[in-house]
Amino acid sequence: MTLAAVSDAGPLIHLAEIDSLERLSLFDVLLIPQTVYAEIEAGDVPSGLDNVSYELVDVDDEQKGTVDLDAGESAAIAVAKERDVVLLTDDLAARESASNDGVDVHGSIGIIALAHARGFLDADEAATLMRSLQRETSLFVTDAVIERGIELLDNTQRERSE
Amino acid sequence: MAAEISDRVREIAEATDLPESEVFERALERGLETLWEDLVLKRYLGGKIDREEAIEHVGRTKVERAEREQQIVEEDVDWGLNA
Repeated sequence: MTLAAVSDAGPLIHLAEIDSLERLSLFDVLLIPQTVYAEIEAGDVPSGLDNVSYELVDVDDEQKGTVDLDAGESAAIAVAKERDVVLLTDDLAARESASNDGVDVHGSIGIIALAHARGFLDADEAATLMRSLQRETSLFVTDAVIERGIELLDNTQRERSE
Repeated sequence: MAAEISDRVREIAEATDLPESEVFERALERGLETLWEDLVLKRYLGGKIDREEAIEHVGRTKVERAEREQQIVEEDVDWGLNA
């Protein structure tokens, strides 16, 4: 099954901050709206993005909707809806808005779990990266929640090996 | 890092007209508060204390936020493992 997604700036920045942008290569198709690219370009485009295959896409203003989100998040949601692909965001408001519109939405934590499930990270590496996401980036999650995520990852892994 | 902390303490002390010892004391209090909240939320999410007790310690807003975060993390882990 083809795994296609569109990302707003959050996962691009957060994964870059923990040197894990290459995990985005797990997606068969990765779309980045021009608006989002301009947002990350305003800072510094993470160097690791050069090693990831992605397609820049334009979004009409009319498609962006009127939700109270920033331009990049609105554009990414519009692309996700139009092309029926997964939305990658680490923003709680964008996540909620997209979910309400029926979009399948996930974030950096899900990408780490995906890399683990596909065999690119062992359980310890996945746990380390999840903790790094919480400690070294502006990701929304608290320490306690990350530990629950790691526990869930471990439990699932254990159940599958039994 | 140590030099950065010293610089910041000095700058805060100068800007707030407080002795550096007071800045350190306030930093310790704030840091401890955060660590305490993390501990309470961890105990709650781990089923070691009930919701009402967690709310009593850290407030309803933080408990509800942790619940929402947990739901998202669980959704993401579940999706990642099954995508």
